[in-house]
Amino acid sequence: MTNSRTILICSGKGGVGKTTLTANLGIALAGQGARTVVLDADFGLRNLDLLLGLENRIVYTAQEVLAETCRLDQALVKHKQQPNLALLPAGNPRMLEWLKPEDMQTIAGMLSDRFDYVLIDCPAGIEDGFKNAVAAAKEAIVITTPEVSAVRDADRVIGLLNTHGVSPVQLVLNRVRPKMMANQDMLAVDDVTDILALPLLGLVLEDEQVIVSTNKGEPLTLNGTSSPAAKAYGNIAGRLQGEDIPLMDPAKERRGIRARVRQLMQTKIF
Amino acid sequence: MTPELSSQSPFCLRLPAFRSVPWQQWLPSQLPSLPRQAIDLDTGDWSLSCRDLEELLVALNEAGHHVQAVMTRCSDTLISAAALGLIARQVSTDSTGDGSTHDQAHATSMDAELTVHRGTLRSGDHIESHGHLLIVGDVNPGGSASADGDVYVWGRLRGRAHAGRRGDSDARIVALQLRPLQLRIAELVARGPEERPQPGLAEQACIVEGAISIEPAKPPFAAQQT
Repeated sequence: MTNSRTILICSGKGGVGKTTLTANLGIALAGQGARTVVLDADFGLRNLDLLLGLENRIVYTAQEVLAETCRLDQALVKHKQQPNLALLPAGNPRMLEWLKPEDMQTIAGMLSDRFDYVLIDCPAGIEDGFKNAVAAAKEAIVITTPEVSAVRDADRVIGLLNTHGVSPVQLVLNRVRPKMMANQDMLAVDDVTDILALPLLGLVLEDEQVIVSTNKGEPLTLNGTSSPAAKAYGNIAGRLQGEDIPLMDPAKERRGIRARVRQLMQTKIF
Repeated sequence: MTPELSSQSPFCLRLPAFRSVPWQQWLPSQLPSLPRQAIDLDTGDWSLSCRDLEELLVALNEAGHHVQAVMTRCSDTLISAAALGLIARQVSTDSTGDGSTHDQAHATSMDAELTVHRGTLRSGDHIESHGHLLIVGDVNPGGSASADGDVYVWGRLRGRAHAGRRGDSDARIVALQLRPLQLRIAELVARGPEERPQPGLAEQACIVEGAISIEPAKPPFAAQQT
């Protein structure tokens, strides 16, 4: 497929929401009709399968595909509720020792023949795992939170992406707390974009629902909840597809009492 | 080759037009005509990695020619040359015509060595210069720039900068916005100012009475030969 897009989702720092974004973006893109595959490149600490609730369906992994002991379609795990989405699971952690950037390119090449979107969940850090993942990517989404350490690491990663010729690189700002931003207890959106100088693909509000959905293995974008994070992921998917969706303004997102009560209720129901 | 620079300047070897012919094939035919003295190398639009450039220098060295400076229009080559410890100069990047390149080369040879870097230095990036250093772009937190002479940042300096690495205490650091993590001039070290700088006012750091002080930037900005 010629217009397939291979997008690396990376951050540098761990725990800022790479895997959550990959899972939710995958579901959202698939929900919009795009054939999507998510590839777990975090061989050391894999958990994309957990977030998608597909852990118990894995039979083969990328490792067997590379060793040619199984076919690609045998290793692909189709999502149970969203048939447009497939997961290619990571192999076992020892794979890191022999995996080469060319191997990742091989896998990504195979996937891009059959899917519209190949989303690669990059491991944290900038060592071998990152180098392998970046070799396969054509474009990238850098995700960061409004914290100095996360922004610093994102900056380093953007520099590395530039030297690897990955373009375009877009930014997602995760775990935004409008109230803290308004009180200047948190880096403002402008502070972050000022340093990173990347086009902003989306803002995701801090949302307790994310924790709930992670533990359940059901990405937020799957069941059409009205949670703010789910909406944000949906918008990001739309913008990736070229839709013109205005960015949220954190100053206007100070939630009212009704929204709070509704969210509290949602939190309890599961 | 016509002498392009003033008579005191060393002989300048100019690589053929970019990609017209591999320089590995071109070089042997040129070697006999080169004078046995320190020469300058003009790499034009060639984008040379550290490895390429080293190969080129080794070939020249084996033939008894010592390259003392590299001139280039490509900033990748500039960084490679700097990394190999050569004097690196950038000549005009736009290849509009031969005339402008000629003028630019002449102007840079008159100044102390000025390294120009276009683009942002991100966290973990480092650039250094054996002369003065001009960065057209920002220096982000975690990035660093150092020079034997002055450091000029046409942008925001938020990382580290070291001017006068070899002990020149007259060196200074000038930036459109000076909010560095740390500044060094010669042997002195200072932390950046805590308060936000006034917008729209270029600032400079220099040594005043044995300490680094920050003040509004003053002309002349031209790199001065000492």
